[in-house]
Amino acid sequence: MGVLAWITLLPLAGAALTMLVPAEEESIHRGIGLGTAIATFLASLFILSDFDATQAGFQLEVDKVWVASLGIRFHLGIDGISLWLVLLTTFLVPVTLLSPQAIGTRNIRVREFTVAMLVLEAGMIGAFVALDMFVFYVFWELMLIPMYFIIGIWGGDRRLYASIKFVIYTLIGSLLMLVAILFLYAQYHAATGSYSFDYTDLSRLTLPFLPQLLCFLSFALAFAIKVPLFPLHTWLPDAHVEAPTGGSVILAGVLLKFGTYGFLRFALPMFPLGAQTMATPIAILAVIGIVFGALMAYVQNDAKKLVAYSSVSHLGFVILGIFSVTQVAVQGAVFQMLAHGVSTGGLFLGVGLLYDRRHTRKLDDFGGLWKKIPVFSAMFLVIMLASVGLPGLCGFVGEFLILIGSFTADATWAKAGMGEFFANPKLLSVISASAVILAAMYLLTMYQKVFFGPLDKPENRDPHVKDVHGREIWVFGIVIVAALVMGVYPKPILDRSEKSVAAFVSNFQERLKDSAANPEATAHLFPASASPRNPGNTAP
Amino acid sequence: MTFDSSQIFAYLPMLILIGMGCVILLAETFATAENRKGLAWLGVGGCVASFATLLFQWEGAAQATSHFDGMLVLDRMALYLDSTFLAAAILTLLFAPPYLREQGFEFGEFYALVLFGAAGMMMVAHATHFVSLLLGIETMSLAAYVLTGSWRRNLRSSEAAMKYFLVGAFATGFLVYGMALIYGTTGGELSYSGIAGKVGEAAKTPVFFFGEYFIIIALAFKVAAVPFHMWTPDAYEGAPTPVTGFMAAGVKAAAFGGIVRLLDSAFSNPLLVFDFTGWANIVVVLAAVTMVFGNLAALRQENIKRMLAYSSIGHAGYLLVGVAAMGLGSTSAKPAVLFYLLAYTFTTLGSFGVIAWIGNRKDERLFVDDWAGLGAARPAVAFAMTIFLLSLGGVPPTGGFFAKFYLFRAATENPQLYWLVTLGVLSSVVSVFYYLRVVVAMYFRDSARAINPTDAASTRAALVITAVAVLLLGIYPGPFVEWAGPIVGK
Repeated sequence: MGVLAWITLLPLAGAALTMLVPAEEESIHRGIGLGTAIATFLASLFILSDFDATQAGFQLEVDKVWVASLGIRFHLGIDGISLWLVLLTTFLVPVTLLSPQAIGTRNIRVREFTVAMLVLEAGMIGAFVALDMFVFYVFWELMLIPMYFIIGIWGGDRRLYASIKFVIYTLIGSLLMLVAILFLYAQYHAATGSYSFDYTDLSRLTLPFLPQLLCFLSFALAFAIKVPLFPLHTWLPDAHVEAPTGGSVILAGVLLKFGTYGFLRFALPMFPLGAQTMATPIAILAVIGIVFGALMAYVQNDAKKLVAYSSVSHLGFVILGIFSVTQVAVQGAVFQMLAHGVSTGGLFLGVGLLYDRRHTRKLDDFGGLWKKIPVFSAMFLVIMLASVGLPGLCGFVGEFLILIGSFTADATWAKAGMGEFFANPKLLSVISASAVILAAMYLLTMYQKVFFGPLDKPENRDPHVKDVHGREIWVFGIVIVAALVMGVYPKPILDRSEKSVAAFVSNFQERLKDSAANPEATAHLFPASASPRNPGNTAP
Repeated sequence: MTFDSSQIFAYLPMLILIGMGCVILLAETFATAENRKGLAWLGVGGCVASFATLLFQWEGAAQATSHFDGMLVLDRMALYLDSTFLAAAILTLLFAPPYLREQGFEFGEFYALVLFGAAGMMMVAHATHFVSLLLGIETMSLAAYVLTGSWRRNLRSSEAAMKYFLVGAFATGFLVYGMALIYGTTGGELSYSGIAGKVGEAAKTPVFFFGEYFIIIALAFKVAAVPFHMWTPDAYEGAPTPVTGFMAAGVKAAAFGGIVRLLDSAFSNPLLVFDFTGWANIVVVLAAVTMVFGNLAALRQENIKRMLAYSSIGHAGYLLVGVAAMGLGSTSAKPAVLFYLLAYTFTTLGSFGVIAWIGNRKDERLFVDDWAGLGAARPAVAFAMTIFLLSLGGVPPTGGFFAKFYLFRAATENPQLYWLVTLGVLSSVVSVFYYLRVVVAMYFRDSARAINPTDAASTRAALVITAVAVLLLGIYPGPFVEWAGPIVGK
């Protein structure tokens, strides 16, 4: 088995091992959890070293038969886009497990928490590397259950409401996506005579206009809920506020990326005509989300809710970048996904630490903490500025590339779709740019309320309000180093994603040309000369 | 009619069950309170022996063979269903004894009836003739009525048995009346192949259609499809919990086996399937109404047995989607229905096993709120129950997910059924909502009172078996999919 299968299954093995240890041995559970997560991270570095940046296609593939008669294969592989998302996952999980605040204030059932985090990690890695739609769907749903438990067991007061809302929202989207997957499967069979759920097969299928649009809509709904795109974002503030710190970090850091990753991997390349039709509305919704999220963040008094709304705003940039379909913007979108994972993950860890010290998240309850806990204040400052998008830190690179890319995008392709508004991408990117200023406003205001001003509230002077110590220094130190490295030297990331992004852009344009040329043509493979990958896998 | 040993061998699994049932009945007369425990193990032994002979038949059953003048058929579909019934019977025999002992009504007849019921189910799965179908359905149903009422001191149990019996007798009336009408219009045909041969002329008479519809209605009663589901919640709630599991899994599986075989052979003529009068339309409508109603009604239930009763109605709806797909020519609908029944059997028996486990004589704990804190108090059982609930809701990586996936995959072969599949996935979102209510109670709330379950080694063993089976069917479904039958080309 290849390294991809190993890193997917390693967390599951760790979870099984953790379950065997008696419930009282909390330090052993933490040890196994952290050890497995670190081992997975180290194993994922092998992917990085084995990855060939000069190739655009999928690499390090694992391909085994799973259910032969239905054409289901355990097919994994990565390209320059999923490579970095896998690394983001394997990076954030150990950092989260290292944090003493990960489990939140209900410091109970460490064993179950560790198991949930490891199963979640396996689901996330599996969904990023899956190249079989069935496998992708299984891992996609596999993420849902542990996150549901993490919010529901270790969450805040309204955790029941938040957890069920999270599940129902996500399930509606994903089940409709499943119907679309089954449709593609049937169409592929009709076009070629063989059964396959393989992404490399199904993504070559070109459908007539209406099916393409419907499939795009059902995929896009699943992903838009995950991102979340305005107006489907309402589950996010609830889930974030109620989730324990560890849950929020993973939710914002990785889970939201599945929405944007899904657009990049599935929705756009597979249904170019559908994407063309819906590009304008989605781009507009993304811009609304950017501005709306920023404004909502500005008026929040709850630090966690503020960070949650900032995610809506930041992820809007990613969607805008993806729908610009230019090399620069899409690379920016990929980079922004990673940067947002690191910086927002760090922000949630910081808010979690503040809550641990003060048992409140209300900004009004803080003030003057700089004098009391200077080291943490400085560390939080760096992470906060990374989220604002200060040059030299990770947030800047992604937003900058997206804004340039979408400003210069030639969006005439979207004209054939609904409305011509997107034909003026300059306007959209100018509006979006205002959110960078808004981000500085709400984040700096938050920082000011918490750390500056007089240290006048007695609770804040309490000796329990300690500065970072022990493992916490490591947690924040690692996040800051990552943010700095990504901000100062983004080249390794951009280099390795360059070819895959270029392939995404050119493939999208060619496919769009092909399907737009004859939108009523029956389902066929693209390019036309291609033959099915598994010709033997036909029904008798 | 020839009557030789090969025909006996073909029905050995059924005969072993009946024989063992008789042995248990005899043994019961000599049983004392101490050694009555052995009776359930006798039953398990009978089922295992039956399963062993079934494995011997598997190789030869690749080609269907007809026996007893076309009364019964031996093929792999029937054997697959037989294994499902045997799994249901074995698990019931493992879950029931501790429950019966705790509630104080352990009698040998109970175990014998489980075996007789399973034998009746097998008869239904093998039937290719109206007489054998009726015999099978009645053998199975009579056993189920008596089992439902076996807790004589409990009023609810008696009430449930009475309701179940009356409605069931009514359904049988429909069945026999329908058979009589078809007998009349086809010139005296009762075997499936004979009816199929005469359909051309018979279909011109409306009386024939009445006969067909009556039979479909009777079977819809048995599978609890809306609007013929009224008995289900009361019968499921009142029956002793292990019996509920047996009914929900076994009886439903047998009835679906009967429906599939009947519609696929006797009524498979396109004249009967399509058009305004075709059964495909009827089944599509039944499926849609059943899925939506079952899952919506389950939302409001506080009693877990009632909730699962409505959920089983919802599952009947999904299965009817498969039956409709079969009618519309889907190549994999039949194996998909079979696989679904297998996965559903393990899941349902497991979940009712947990419900039987959690209560005791004083405190049955049948309400969702009673389950609070189970996750902390008994993590292993709560974990197993979570697996069952996720499987019922169709969440990977469980057997219930793969079964639903396979079923919907079969249905999407036909473009006409996309709306039904969409309706199906949306109603399973609804179903996840109420299944998760139990999970919420178990894990997210703290217990109000101590949990004193009816614990026994056999219950634990059965829970491990069911949980492992449900996960296995979800993670490694390949072989079970193959055994359920090939995906034959159109």
